[in-house]
Amino acid sequence: MIIIGEKINATRKAVKPMILERRETELIELAQNQADAGAAYIDINVGTGTGGREDEVEAIRWAVTTVKAAVAKPICVDSADARVLAAGLAACDGHDAMINSVKADPDYLAEVLPIAARHDVPVICLAMDLEGIPKDVAGRLAACQTIADAAGAHGVPEAHLYFDPLVLPIAADATQAKVTLDTLAAVKDRFPAAKTVMGLSNVSYGLPARAQLNAAFLAMALYAGLDAAIMDPMDSTMRAAALTGTALMGRDRHFRKYSRAFRNA
Amino acid sequence: MNQTELIEKINFNIIQGRMTAEDEGFDEGLEGQPAVTELIEQAVEAGIDAKIIVLDGLTGAMETVGAKFDKGEYLIPDMLASAECVGAAMDILAPLLADAGVESKGKFVLATVAGDLHDIGKNIVAIMLKGAGFEVLDLGNDVTTGRIVEAVKANNAQFLGLSALLTTTMREMGVVIKALEESGLRDQVRVLIGGAPTSEAFAAEIGADAHCRDAFHAIDLLRQMAA
Ligand code: B1M
Repeated sequence: MIIIGEKINATRKAVKPMILERRETELIELAQNQADAGAAYIDINVGTGTGGREDEVEAIRWAVTTVKAAVAKPICVDSADARVLAAGLAACDGHDAMINSVKADPDYLAEVLPIAARHDVPVICLAMDLEGIPKDVAGRLAACQTIADAAGAHGVPEAHLYFDPLVLPIAADATQAKVTLDTLAAVKDRFPAAKTVMGLSNVSYGLPARAQLNAAFLAMALYAGLDAAIMDPMDSTMRAAALTGTALMGRDRHFRKYSRAFRNA
Repeated sequence: MNQTELIEKINFNIIQGRMTAEDEGFDEGLEGQPAVTELIEQAVEAGIDAKIIVLDGLTGAMETVGAKFDKGEYLIPDMLASAECVGAAMDILAPLLADAGVESKGKFVLATVAGDLHDIGKNIVAIMLKGAGFEVLDLGNDVTTGRIVEAVKANNAQFLGLSALLTTTMREMGVVIKALEESGLRDQVRVLIGGAPTSEAFAAEIGADAHCRDAFHAIDLLRQMAA
């Protein structure tokens, strides 16, 4: 399973000042720690909620340039603003990257997909449209189809699409975990070359012992066809669930990763 | 890289369980470095005797793997990874060990006995026998005594090779010999046995004709029998 390290996100209290005050050493350390813990991509979201668009463009340039120079991992440029994505990708300048994210919004797709095509990078595609997150599998799949069609039109290959089936808190609607899992399987079926990705922790919002729910959900999602997760790679419960689920799915040749993590446990 | 270094590298990579360059090993961070397949190809290209590669490179490495498994350092998948490497190596070496075009020296039925899944050693023996000019009928592993006796009979085989790697399954070899006697086939067939737990004394005890230490010893013994 591909881990996208989620920790460099300016909406987190500890990260916001790091971005605003350009604390280079701390940023690099946060990226490196995630890489050491097994992250294949380092997500960078500089949306602090303060300042304007130009500030964010400046911030993403700085953050990408800083991380890229110090940590040998691809960067997942994370923003809901196409200009920030464009600036982040430009700053990557050949360094492997990914775009996080688009949804089934035709205007926005027309802005972002050309960036993905130009830089030849994968894109995370949220299974939602302008009205929000559809409550059922058919609605989410329709959103994915809209994105896939637009991607085709802009020359982004299906193999570069990472569909996120999205997950709503089950505390509010207990059917939602299964909707997500069924969407995963349906996406895999309809877009066989595409990959799937998810941020899992939403599922447990509002319930106790969240780690337990998140870990079980991750294992189930791996069975349903999850390829990548946006998560905290340092979270040992989640890491264990990822290693265990991958091994059980027969996707860890000779149990190398599983055994290496647990043989002396 | 000279011969010793190359053999050492092959040995190391079998122990690491790395078949091809992109494979992970038991230890971290070996991806990308040449592994067993690439190294064996190099060794062949360098003209190193295939027999030396098998004896020094492969067999020695599997002994180390067994010792590590014994100590609990290696798990079953680790052992299988190494076994797979030996299989890949033998795929490359087989044509070199077999000098084609020799007339048949006789029909040879070969099997790993019932309850035993170890077939790496037997497979090497099969290749060597073919190379030495025998017509080999390899029945595979975990072969029931009934099937072995039937194959000897149906093919009118002059030789039978039995392999067992477990102290529990080696007893089955005696059962096979008894069954051959009961079927009246014992006199038509020479029975050779092999496998780590077996010995000359054990062969004598169960009434086998010979015990083979390794595949090359088996060929030597057969040569002596023919003389
Ligand atoms: C003419 O006829 C002839 C002539 C010569 C013949 C011949 C027949 N047969 C052999 N020869 C001779 O020529 C060959 C070539 O030179 C030589 O063959 P060898 O087979 O000796 O040598 C090979 C080239 C290399 N050697 C090998 O391939 C065997 C290596 C070791 C590490 C080994 C392996 C790889 C495996 N194993 Co197993 N395994 C071990 C082995 C440890 C060891 N040091 O031997 C041993 C044999 N295993 C053992 C065990 C316990 C087990 N294994 C098991 C499973 C396996 C694997 C499947 C993981 C794998 C086998 C894969 C395969 N496809 O063969 C299990 C049993 C499965 C079963 N029912 O058979 C399991 C029970 C483990 C478990 N807990 O599940 C131990 C046996 C202990 C005992 N007291 O009997 C063991 C000694 C390891 C250990 N140190 O504990 C000669 O003996």
